[in-house]
Amino acid sequence: MTDPSELAKLYGPKELKAVKAEQQQCAVRFTPCGKFLVGGGYDGLVRRWDASGDEFAELPPLSGHGGWVSGLAFHAEGSRLYSADSWGRLRAWSYADAAPQPLWETADAHNGWIHALAVSPDGKLLATCGMDRLVRIWDAATGGKLFELAGHAFDVLAVSFHPDGKSLASGDLAGIVKHWDVAAGNQVREFDARQLYLSNRLQDVGGVRSMAFDETGKMLGCGGARPKVGGNVQGVPLAVLFDWTTGMATHALEFGKDSDVYLCDFYFDARGFIVAVTSGNPGAGKLLMQEFDAKEPFFSIAKPNCHAVSRHPSGLRLAVTTVNANSNGNGRLKAADGAEEYPGNWSPIVIFDMPAPADA
Amino acid sequence: MKSNPLCKPWEHRLSRRRLLGAGAAAIGLGSLVRPAMAEELKKRQKQVLFIWIDGGISQLESWDPKPGTQFGGPFRAISTSVPGIQVSELLPKTARQMHHLALVRSLCTKDNSHSAGVARIQRGDPKNRGVTYPFFGSAVAKLLGAGESGLPPYVWVKPGSGGFIYADAGFLGPKYGALAFGDGKPPENLLRSPAVSAEDDAFRNEFRRRADRRYAQRRRGGAVEANSFVYDVAQELMKREALFDESQYSPRDVERYGSHELGRHMLKARKLLEAGVTFVKVNTYGWDTHGDNFVGHANLVPKFDQAFAAVIEDLAAGGLLDHVLVIAISEFGRTPRVNGHVGRDHWPEAWSAAMAGCGVKKGIAVGGTNDKGTWVAGEEFDIGHMFHTWFRALGVDPRQTEYENNGQPLPIAHEDCRAVEEVLA
Amino acid sequence: MWWHLLLAPCAAAILALGLPAERLSAAEPLHQAIDRLIAAQAAGEVGPLAGDAEFLRRAYLDLAGKIPAADEARAFLADPATDKRAKLIDRLLESPDFPRRMQDLFHAMLLERRGDDPHWLDYLRRSFEANKPWDVLAREILDPDPQDEAVRGAAYFYVSRLDKVGQQDTDYPGLTRDVGRLFLGVDLQCAQCHNHLFIDDYKQQDFQGLYAVFLNTFIRRDVKFPAVGENLLTKKTEFMSVFDKVPLATGPRIPGGAEIEIPAFAAGEEYRVPPDKQANQPGEPKFSPLEAIAARVATAENAAFSRNIANRLWFVMFGRGLVHPLDLFHRENPPSHPELLELLAQDIAARKFDMRGMLRELALSETYQRSGLLPAAGEAPPPASYRVALEKPLSAEQLFWSMLTAAGTPAAAPPGNEQPGDEKAGKTELDELRKRFVAAFANPPKEPEIEFSPSVKAALFVMNDPRVLGLLEARPGNLVDRLSELAGPREVADELYLSVLTRLPTDEERADMAAALAERPDRRAAVLGQMAWALVASTEFCLNH
Repeated sequence: MTDPSELAKLYGPKELKAVKAEQQQCAVRFTPCGKFLVGGGYDGLVRRWDASGDEFAELPPLSGHGGWVSGLAFHAEGSRLYSADSWGRLRAWSYADAAPQPLWETADAHNGWIHALAVSPDGKLLATCGMDRLVRIWDAATGGKLFELAGHAFDVLAVSFHPDGKSLASGDLAGIVKHWDVAAGNQVREFDARQLYLSNRLQDVGGVRSMAFDETGKMLGCGGARPKVGGNVQGVPLAVLFDWTTGMATHALEFGKDSDVYLCDFYFDARGFIVAVTSGNPGAGKLLMQEFDAKEPFFSIAKPNCHAVSRHPSGLRLAVTTVNANSNGNGRLKAADGAEEYPGNWSPIVIFDMPAPADA
Repeated sequence: MKSNPLCKPWEHRLSRRRLLGAGAAAIGLGSLVRPAMAEELKKRQKQVLFIWIDGGISQLESWDPKPGTQFGGPFRAISTSVPGIQVSELLPKTARQMHHLALVRSLCTKDNSHSAGVARIQRGDPKNRGVTYPFFGSAVAKLLGAGESGLPPYVWVKPGSGGFIYADAGFLGPKYGALAFGDGKPPENLLRSPAVSAEDDAFRNEFRRRADRRYAQRRRGGAVEANSFVYDVAQELMKREALFDESQYSPRDVERYGSHELGRHMLKARKLLEAGVTFVKVNTYGWDTHGDNFVGHANLVPKFDQAFAAVIEDLAAGGLLDHVLVIAISEFGRTPRVNGHVGRDHWPEAWSAAMAGCGVKKGIAVGGTNDKGTWVAGEEFDIGHMFHTWFRALGVDPRQTEYENNGQPLPIAHEDCRAVEEVLA
Repeated sequence: MWWHLLLAPCAAAILALGLPAERLSAAEPLHQAIDRLIAAQAAGEVGPLAGDAEFLRRAYLDLAGKIPAADEARAFLADPATDKRAKLIDRLLESPDFPRRMQDLFHAMLLERRGDDPHWLDYLRRSFEANKPWDVLAREILDPDPQDEAVRGAAYFYVSRLDKVGQQDTDYPGLTRDVGRLFLGVDLQCAQCHNHLFIDDYKQQDFQGLYAVFLNTFIRRDVKFPAVGENLLTKKTEFMSVFDKVPLATGPRIPGGAEIEIPAFAAGEEYRVPPDKQANQPGEPKFSPLEAIAARVATAENAAFSRNIANRLWFVMFGRGLVHPLDLFHRENPPSHPELLELLAQDIAARKFDMRGMLRELALSETYQRSGLLPAAGEAPPPASYRVALEKPLSAEQLFWSMLTAAGTPAAAPPGNEQPGDEKAGKTELDELRKRFVAAFANPPKEPEIEFSPSVKAALFVMNDPRVLGLLEARPGNLVDRLSELAGPREVADELYLSVLTRLPTDEERADMAAALAERPDRRAAVLGQMAWALVASTEFCLNH
């Protein structure tokens, strides 16, 4: 392990600016070409910003989704964007077009909320999962359903392709992770991440909220919380790391305290650490960087309710999807003039600059 | 009871003379109801199933969906068995029972905290008169009585601990408190000791009754009467031991209601209603979804849906719905806006309740909210309106009936509110 | 001041001058004055005196907290002495049962079932063993001294109320209200936000003056015993009536009293003992509002204080307050017997708040010793006329000790001195049983135990609790064992009724028992147990009549 302050100097990001998304976003991500930021919102819109410079001018949104745009996935070839929503719809776009139109649309990809979406490394397959407890595999070119992977007993919250493209992992509300053989369409084995789950009163709490493989495919990470209570969910953010070969959990990294709750998104940095964001009680959120065997993050910055983190393909920028401060509140909220206005929340997208490798 | 949150002095309008008279004459607590309940009320015992969704179910994820709007959340709305009425997709089974239900979608209440809200809603928010009003269950126990079943009039099936919850009764006195079956289990000491045979039990109680009769001669009476009453109720409960034996429930019922806590408790509630209990309260806890509201509701609401739809279907099929008033309500709804923890906060401003059965119309939705679901559109109904409505549905006229507490006359529902006539059959 | 208006002018003068007690009691003993004043307002014929058995049971329950054992009853009934009642009263007041009874009584009255704390219970027991005067006791409770090991348990009165329950805020208004109710007989609840609407005498400043004191207190977490600390009080509490919205302010004051000036200290000079952050010890301010109000509340100079305790002791013995409800002293709720209440208030102040002495006088009165049977014909006399004795509910503790006595449980021979929390062999089990009785029979927390309020829970407890039933199984030397040794049905009936109900059975009751025993001769032991159970479960047993 290296001295944390050295690591922070080497890899620690610096805040550049916040880009305002008018409506709350599930996640905002850089496209593979790095020229766009794309976000899926609570308003059924796919928003885009020009990410080629420092301005981040907003471009015309992609409309036609319903509910929340809950999943986004990209493939470099053909500038493909795949988007999924909470009403069960799945769409394909060419995101770089001036006014993109859907390349195809599948209206009932799932019965209800599609929680996550992933595209295979070769760009040929899509995997989706949802509240109908199913995982489905789609032909990325046509939107045709190839097959269905059933077996989860709870809502499936996360899905991820292994870098080899042959295996798929999916994680559910109860912390059960399944390894599927994509070609055969069957379950290979199960991983136990039940420390991410709690049955509290009537509620199933927690689950696999984020999932990623490292670039080599040796490690699978599952993010969430160690839930303490349902309702106003509380629990320490937690990443459970598995050795993909043995299927054994090697690490259970805790990030923060009970009010910090979910590890909403993360990725493995090939230089040996994890970059993660957390969102807990309204206002509580962090961007964190931590080595696997360290006790503490070497970098941490508080931002309200960080729901997603996206690395620019250059490795020189991060986009963190947050929520405005003071997002909660009870009681009658009235405008100053007494009119019955009712303010909603929005999502500042915080852009960070990363030290260039040459600086190191 | 704490004084400050409940004491709304501008509401003290009761004439001073009436209260002072009461204070001076305070002897032998116990409250009367005036007028004496009409005979016809007793003929067909009316009953209540009161489902308390503690913490606050989100109206937007249940009775008043606003899909595709700013605060509508991720879920869709679905059609129901009543054309024109839609509910959240999280209520598919209940949607098929909609023709039995009456929704009120224009509740606008006041208290924003659980501590004040739970009591305020269940007491019907009467004006402060320096007394602790009874919860609805105790009020109904008082007004409708125990009926012929011999069982206590107010039974509460709840998670956690059970016991005798006197506090609900307020000024009505402990007799009208709730007998709570914690986790649906029977009260402590329900089972007769194996050392006492049924014959012995009958013998010893007969001897006890004889002793009481003798003592009552040349005494004021009340004490023996009250003591005999609790022994009678206790003995009746012991006889109904089977009510608590879940192994005797049909597997089909268990599957339909759900093997989860709420399903089991709702099924028990149906058995208690069938056994003749006047007021059955079922509690479900854990609905205070300040965080993760949507994944939370996605697995909470379907459990409610399953148990609620099953009990409505069964009460309707058995004809019980004609005289059982069913109410499903929380202490408030949840905020339209979604906070950073993807939760919804407390929202007493515009929310919903569901009813069915005795005295209410079938298959209607009354009132509503604006297109964003933020405010009530049209007339707002407070909990006082609901108390008027419920009492009327049960055949008790809240304008003609009052409690009498040590000579202090007390209205049974907030006198500035009225019944929601549109709901009443 | 309204409470001075309540006093007859001359009585007020006596109190104000602090004339000695002899002046009041020399001419006429208090118990005779009681009878005279009750008779004067009886508005009808007073009932006859209770028989010896009836009196014996009543006095035992009130002064020893339990029924007498059969042997004691037999001896008393057989005693031909004409002064045996007075002797019994003195004997009971001197017995170790008396402090235990007082401990149980004041524990239930002051804590209202908020919880048990060994320091508190020990404090009460030791206080009553020493017959500590009420004003001293009250000052120790209102201004607890953490330094003095002998009295610091008194702080539990505050601690039990300052403790948060769940997510509720600390109930300072509730504590304010309880101090008013329990020490002064005034329930100021509705005067928090405005002058009381229906009770002219209760002013908002009465509430706020006490509230200011308690709002300044906190539970000390640095010590292992119950203790409270005080913050620095440097300015007045501001409040306004929700009616007229005129801003007002008050320093500490007791209801009806003058405002206590808040002394000013130079910065750094505020503490007697400064806070020690290292040791996590709170400081001890030079100005202690608790000390200030304790001294003003609990003193003979505060008529409301004397009147409250006189009324409460009267309630303990007679089953209702001269002012009733006990905590609604005000002009429009006058005492049923104003002169009597004043007499009692003066008397207890004059006897320096000796509660045992006052209870003795109350017990000696004919009013106390009157039969509880209603006249055979005609209407029942009004309760407040005291023409016949009123029924009183037995507390959970009275039921517990009485049940042990009735059942002749060897562990309880002689019952009476077991200290809750005592670790001695056999005592722990007994204490467990006591706790079960309290759980079954006591009111829920915060509800004063005034009325007889039987419950289904208690009925199921008596019917089915194995430990209760166990008391009525034959064990060497216990009641059922003794009964089964007796040959004749008459002897059996006499022993049973004397043991459980402290009286001999009527002929009808004897016949009933004989018939039951004859009917099931093969199950004699079981039948005896069930008949004992029936009497223990009867209303007659669970009332003091």
